[in-house]
Order: sequence, then structure tokens, then C-alpha cells
Amino acid sequence: MEMTHKPFPSPTKAKSVAKERPRGFNGHRHDKYVAAAFLGPSLVVLGIFVFYPMLKTLYLSLFLTNNVGRPTVFVGLKNYGTLLASSAYRASFQATLIYVFSVVVLTLTVGVLLAQAAVQKLAGIRWFRTIFSATMGVSVSVAAIFWLFIFSPSVGLLDQLAASLHLPVINWLTTPGWAMVAIIVSTVWMNLGFTFLILFGALQMVPTTLYDAAAVEGASPRYQFLHVTLPMISPTLFFTATVTLIGAFKSFGLIDLMTAGGPNNATNLMVYQVYRDAFLTGNYGQASAESMILAVVIAGLTWVQFKFLEKRVTYE
Amino acid sequence: MMQINNRHLIWRYLGLGLLALLILGPFILGVWTSLLPTAEIAKGALIGGPVSLANYGAAVHQTAILRYLLNSLVIATLTTIAQVLLCSLGAYAFVFLTFKGREALFYVILATMMLPFEAEVIPNFATARQFNLLNHYAILVLPFLTSAFGIFMLRQAFRQIPGELKEAADIEGLNPWQFYWHVVLPYARISLVTLAAYSFLGSWNQYLWPMLTTFSDRFRPVQDGLRQLQSQETFNNWGMIQASAVIVVLPTLIVLFVGQHFFKTGLNQGATKS
Amino acid sequence: MKRIRKLWGWLALLVVGVTLIGTGWATHQAAVARAVPHRTKILFWHEMTGPAQQELLRLVQGFNRSQTTYQVVPEFEGNYNEAVQKVIDTHGTTASPAVFQSMDISTSQLAHTGNITPVQKYIDEDHYDLKQIAPGARAFYANRGVQLSMPFNTSQPVLYYNATLLKKYHITPPPVAPTYQDITRVATQLTDRSHHKVQGMTVEIYGWLFEQFLANSGEELANQHDGHTGTPTEVNFTSPGALTAMHWIQTNLQRGIFVNYGAGANAQSNETASFLSGRLGMFLQSSALIGQLTTGNPDRLGISDYPHPVGKRANGVAIGGASLWLSNDKSAHVQRGAWDFIKYLMTAKSQAAWQVATGYLALNQRSAQTPALRALFRKLPATRVPGNQLRATAPNQTNSGIFLQGLIQERNLTQTAMEQIYQGADPRRALSTAQRAMTSYVQNNNRANGYQK
Repeated sequence: MEMTHKPFPSPTKAKSVAKERPRGFNGHRHDKYVAAAFLGPSLVVLGIFVFYPMLKTLYLSLFLTNNVGRPTVFVGLKNYGTLLASSAYRASFQATLIYVFSVVVLTLTVGVLLAQAAVQKLAGIRWFRTIFSATMGVSVSVAAIFWLFIFSPSVGLLDQLAASLHLPVINWLTTPGWAMVAIIVSTVWMNLGFTFLILFGALQMVPTTLYDAAAVEGASPRYQFLHVTLPMISPTLFFTATVTLIGAFKSFGLIDLMTAGGPNNATNLMVYQVYRDAFLTGNYGQASAESMILAVVIAGLTWVQFKFLEKRVTYE
Repeated sequence: MMQINNRHLIWRYLGLGLLALLILGPFILGVWTSLLPTAEIAKGALIGGPVSLANYGAAVHQTAILRYLLNSLVIATLTTIAQVLLCSLGAYAFVFLTFKGREALFYVILATMMLPFEAEVIPNFATARQFNLLNHYAILVLPFLTSAFGIFMLRQAFRQIPGELKEAADIEGLNPWQFYWHVVLPYARISLVTLAAYSFLGSWNQYLWPMLTTFSDRFRPVQDGLRQLQSQETFNNWGMIQASAVIVVLPTLIVLFVGQHFFKTGLNQGATKS
Repeated sequence: MKRIRKLWGWLALLVVGVTLIGTGWATHQAAVARAVPHRTKILFWHEMTGPAQQELLRLVQGFNRSQTTYQVVPEFEGNYNEAVQKVIDTHGTTASPAVFQSMDISTSQLAHTGNITPVQKYIDEDHYDLKQIAPGARAFYANRGVQLSMPFNTSQPVLYYNATLLKKYHITPPPVAPTYQDITRVATQLTDRSHHKVQGMTVEIYGWLFEQFLANSGEELANQHDGHTGTPTEVNFTSPGALTAMHWIQTNLQRGIFVNYGAGANAQSNETASFLSGRLGMFLQSSALIGQLTTGNPDRLGISDYPHPVGKRANGVAIGGASLWLSNDKSAHVQRGAWDFIKYLMTAKSQAAWQVATGYLALNQRSAQTPALRALFRKLPATRVPGNQLRATAPNQTNSGIFLQGLIQERNLTQTAMEQIYQGADPRRALSTAQRAMTSYVQNNNRANGYQK
């Protein structure tokens, strides 16, 4: 790689600096001050907006909060107990798991399909590659509005199609099961651009010699896919799975715009529940307990999945 | 590659076409309905009606959509600049400086990647309130001035810088800032652009935090602006809402297509090295 | 390297372009959206949408033109539920409003936060004639003789029906004060005689409507007489009135004469759209919808009172809507300006214009004599129904609202129960679950606020 900038300042200037500053090993003595200056800003920001709030959330989760949000009565783990005993919260947890699982599986499956389709060497394939990555430029509220229209009753595309084909009209967003399907489909669609870009990149890196060798041995395309492609892209698949998984756990915008957690709390996922309890009903103690559970689940899953898959993926 | 006859070719293009339709369908529908009068949409007449740009005019004149775009642009630009600067400084410290507890500190920062911001909004809101930062650009930028992901990604990139460069710089007597500014940053330029693109998109897509902390159109970014438009419509004014969505999606689509190359490189670096 | 430069070129272009558009718009809008320099800015939060928002903005403009000291800056803050907590959460910061609209059921909560200046203070200072405001509405927002806030948009839940459709299918309209049975009859006839082209009826999944079923049956939702005699410690969602209403809905759903439009803002716009296009015959909703249901509707709109159980007298329903509150975190000058704005909104002329445009009841008693309102009553006699229903109601403890904190939670929970019932769950079971959750919430809340050990 060429550099357009001159990498070093002029020698004279460098020398004058050198006189003032001890070199080499001695220089490391000052490293901690430099490190403090370089890392300081980041540490302050992370401290104020990530570490402190985590501790504060834990603290708040042990209290009842009054009508202006101040913690007043210490209740220990009672907020957690209330949650675990609440069928509504368990349902929210379960709905989140169903949603996350479906989103991860579908995103990866369709993502691999798109990537496989896009590595073909065909005329005009570049156009398809561009199209397949398009949803990466779609933000959450745009995706929600596009799909809201598709799923909306009577005027929406799906209901019109169903009506013209004399199929039963489904009330997508007002029937619990279908509403979940609707937000899963929308989420997967929104995820596809990103997933495609990564998986496509990984597929391109698989050396063609491996396929040639397999082809010589007469391996079927299915065998090639399972025994050459998949092992080769498994580190990338693992990365994508983790990113999608964590993203799905944090889903909020689509839910807020499309279903607001309904119908019958069917799409009331964990983050939405936190929002509801904290910012609609001012129940900060309980919402903090929900936040802690969410944080533990995400942190734990990230860690477990990382450790577990680390052993199984093939690193070249 | 094996020989492909014409029939195979047709099937391949058909498959590609179907996949493309799957991705493009919602876009096409969105753009198409944005051109139709809402009355036609309400009647369910999606084809054959008059087509016009009237909904775009309505969106621009009757709603604050352009103000939302401006707000998002300001917020995303500030966030991007700050993240590139602070993350690269942080990554520099982890790669080129030796100090006590360096490894431990790195893991502490990595651990923040596991803590979801969504689970911390309650105390963060309280902080914003305490410092009277609610409903201001500042609170939409401050929590995102740096990112563990950015530090991590740039650390990987900086590690590729040959050790000789550092030695040469030490012999030349460059101070850390000079080495950082004149050597490290230009060397890792691609990674920096990638991080910038990510920061920008990430900031642009923020939804929950701005929703909690903005209370007027003066500061409301575009994602929450669309929410605002949608919730104000009692008669789902689909034409105008779709037009607004199209207006919002255009800038990011352009950034994406222009910067595609960088997304790919950056993504694959992240993917293979994690 | 070339690609990078090209990229920056594009990005720069984009940035410049969007900035130009944006700043262009911003300067264009500045005159409308921001305070004028020599005027004191009065930040006003509201939750009105559609035609009501248009009319409210017109009234704000009217106030701003009527004097030169203050500039009211309106901000839409989402739905009623969102706004209450926003108001509480921003109190004491520069983001907080000077005057805000907040829904009926937030009254007890807002009063207890200590964040507000009761409008009574200015009523006394100005010797404002409170008698000109409708007593039923005013009482809802008063406590121990102190007027906490000013009732503003006030509605009654009513039954809407498409009179043209009923005539077309030779169906006798429901009586002025219908029972559940009356409505079932009309819905059945509509569905059958139109061969299912018209859906008989619907009731939105909405906690407010649930509360009204209890009110009209004369039953309490919270103990301590719905909170009118003390701090409630438990709730009752499973009284006969609640169960009868839910069974009625469920049976009609199963018979196919009732359609479920779900919950939330989408549900309301969808049922309204269906009603206007003649695909839905009847529905229960706020009288505030009259404006939307009469403009551009080719069919004649019929309105009846909220239904009541067979064999019982209608006890009357509580008002719905919202009132205007003053925050106490602003300077005396700003609070005075906010109060002047409230007075402007409550004049006979403003209130008449408000009712004509929206369907919310004109609360100034002198509005009835204004030409605008008289013209409306002449043109659409049905629009008198909600006002008559309000006047016919003898206020008692079960139809004057529930003085309980955390009613948003109550609405969430009863709405969930309603959804389950609409999906076929046993009403008693669904409502018992909600009741337990709410009672536990009430008790925790009482403990946290020190009302109860």
C-alpha cells in the first residue's frame, strides 16, 4: 500500500523532539502517562455510560421506586421473585427465545443461500450482489413502515393477494402467532444485507482449488457444500450467528412500530418489556430487574456461544 | 467451472431473480405506494391509479422530515468523528504502549461489548436528566463517543503495522502523538474508513435512546421522526408515510452503494479475526 | 486509493446536499416552530392527532396572535400513555413543558408527584368564573375543593352505527340507551341481511372501554369507592358487570357478528376506516371521533348511549379525555403565560370551535349559544347525544373516574385480559390473573410511596 502522507516529519524537527525526550527503553517509563491520555477519554465515556449504569441498574433492581422514580423501599430480590412468578414475564421471555431462535436460523439460512447464489460466475452478477446487500442501508423504522404496509389489514399487499386468490384473509398484526411471524420476517429481511455481505466475503475466500479437487473426486454439489464450503466458512458463520443473536435480543424499534408488544403480549420482547415498565408505568425497580436479567442473558449467551463454538469451528 | 448449457443458465437467472425480488419487493412496494394518492391506497387500488410526486411534496411541506434528516446528519457525523478519534487513540495504547494492567484493561473494555446498552437506559436517562442534557444533540452523542467494538477492531488493524516502523520511529525520536498521527493513522486508513462507516450507520439507526431523550422536532433524529409521523396519523395516510420512508432510506442506500467495498473489507476482517 | 478519494467525494457531496436542504428547511420553519426573541416561550405538550391536532394548532396560533408577551410552542408527545411518564421524567429540566395535556386517569398520579401548580391558584388570583365550565368535567379534576387542572378535551364513550346501512337492510336502529341485547340484535341482522358483507360490530381492545362497562353497571373497579374515600389497596376486575360484558363480546365473536380489530392506535384507525367504507356497522368509541366520522362520510351517522346490561338501569359513564396542567418548575412569569393560554382555550368561542372540529364536548356553558355550535346541532342532531348523555348522568362514586395511581398499568393489564378473552380464553380466568397482578402493583406502589406499610 502506498502512502500519500509523508510518514515522518522532517529530520530536523524530529531531532529537536528527540533531544527533549528520552528514547527507547526509557520511553516506556512515560508510556503510562501517554496511555492515560490516549485511553482516558474512552475509559471515562465507558465508565459513565456503561459501567456505572450497570451497577446502578443492579442497585435499583433491589428497590421499590416511588411515583417520581426514586428508590424508597429496599426489597432485596423480591423484584426478581415477582418476575419469575409472573406468567406474563415468563411468556415475554419465551416469546423472546422463539423470536431470537427463528431470526438467527432464518437469517443464516437465507444469507447462505444468497451468498451461494452470488458467488456464481455469471454475466451481470455484480448487480445481484449489490441488490442482495441493499437492506443493509435500511434503518429500522423504514423497514417497519415498509412491512407494516405489507401486513396491514385490507389495504396491505398480503391481504389483497389473499382476497384476489380467495384465500382466507389473515389478520397479521392482530393475531398472536401471525404477529410474531410478521416481526420475524421483517427482522430477517432487515438483517439480510449485512449477513449477505459477510458470508459472501467468506465464500469468495474459499480457495477454488478445494472445489476442483472435490470435483475431480466426483463429489456431488451437496457433498461439496457440506464438506468443503461449510467447514471453510464456519468461523464466519459463527461470527454472524453471534452478531445476529445479540441483535435479536436487543430488538426494539420494529416491535415498537409494528405491534407495540401486542397482540396479547405475543410480541412483548424483553427490551420492550423494560421500556414499558420503566418509561410507560414508571415502575423503575421492576424494570431494572428486567434489565439485569436481559444483561445476564446477553452476556452469558455471548460467552457460552463463543466458548462452545470456538472449539468446533475450523480455523485454517 | 463446469460447462453450463442454456437451460441451466435460465434456471440460474430465475433463481437469482427470485432472490432479488425477495429483497427488493418491500422497496418496490414502498416506492410505488409513495407515488399513489392515499385515497387510492385506502380503496386497495394499487394499480391503474394516477401516479404523482404529491406525497413527497406533502411530506416535505407538512412534516418536519427534512429537519429530522438534518438532526440525524449532525448526530451521526459528530458520533463518527469522535469514535474514529477515541477508538484509534485507545487502540494505539493497547498496541504500542506498555503499561501495567494493559491486558486486564483490554479485557475490561472487551467486556463492555457484552453489556447491552438497552439494559442500561434507566440510569443513563437519570444521568442525562441530572446534567440537564435532555432534548439536546449532546445527549444523543455523548454515550457513543467511543465503542469497545471500535477499539477492538482497530487494535486488530494496528497489530498489522510492522514492528520496524515503530523501531524506526523510536530512533527518529517521534513522540507517540506524531507516530500515531503520521504513521499509524495513514497506515490503517482502510480500517478507519470502515469504522467510520459503521459508526455512521450505527448512529443513524439509533432508535430507543433518542426516543427516550428527545422531546421536540428540533433534536429528534430521523428514525424517531418516522415514528412521530406514523403516530400522528389517525387516518393512516399511507402515501405520505411511504414517501417519508423513501426520503429517509435514500441517503443510507447511497452511502452503502458508494462505500460497499469498505463494508466488505471491514466486515471480513472482523469476522475472521474474532 | 482512487476508490477512497471517490468515496470521500461522494460523501462530501451527500453531506453538502443534505445540509443545504436541511438548513434551508430549518430557516423556513424557524418562524413557526421557535419562540420569537422578545416573547417569553411557553412550551406546551399535547397528545392530539389528526383533525384534533390541526384544530389545536389553530387555537395555539390564535393565542399567539392575540397578545404579544408570550409565544406558545406546541409539541406533540405521542400517545397519552407515553406522555405522563415523559412529564414526570423531565420535571426540573429545561426540556420540561410549562403547560401540558394529560389524560383523565393520570390525575391522581400527577397530583401526588408534587410537580404541579394547581390551576386553582390562578383561578383565585384572577377571580376566574369557574362556573362557566361544565361541572361534571370540572369535578373530575378537582380534589377537596381545589381545582388541580383544567378539563380540556372531554369526551363520552358512545355507540356509533351506520344509519344509512340500517335503513337499507330495514333494521330498527338501537334505542337511545341500548342494552347489550339490543346491540346483539342489530349486529346479527346486519351480518345476516348483508350476507356477511357488513361486519356487525366491534369493541376495540381498550382499557378505557372496559372501565366504562363497570361504570355503566354501577360497579367499583378499585376499593375505597374507586379511590374517592381513601387510597385504594386492591382492585376488582371480576365483578358481575365486567364478566357480563366480556361474555357478551365473546359470544358475539363466536357467532361471527363481531370483528376483532385488536388494540392500539392502528386498531382505531382500522375500525374507523372500515366503518367509513361501510364494511363495519357499529362500534363503541369516544365521542371525540364524531369529527372524523362526519367529514366526507356519505352515510348518515347514528349515535346512541354506551350500552348497559339487560335488566339494569344505566348508571352512566365517566368522561374521558384529558386536562391541562401547569408545571411548577417554571418561573412565575412563564406560569402566568401558561395560565393565560389555558383561559384562551376555555373561552366559549374556542370551545365551540373545538367541538365543531373534533367532537370533544364544548365545556364552556356559553358555547351552546355560539353560531358555530348551533349550526352543528342543526346540521347533525346526532352530535347532541354525547352532551345529553353527560347531562343525564347523576354523578356518583362509580361513574366519576377512578382515583388510583398507576391506572396505565391497569389499562395494560385489562387490555391484555381483553385480548385473551377475544382469543377465546375464559373471561374469569383472564381477568383474575390481571386482577392479581394489579393488586400486587397497587400494594407495591403504596409501599414505595409510603401510603401503606
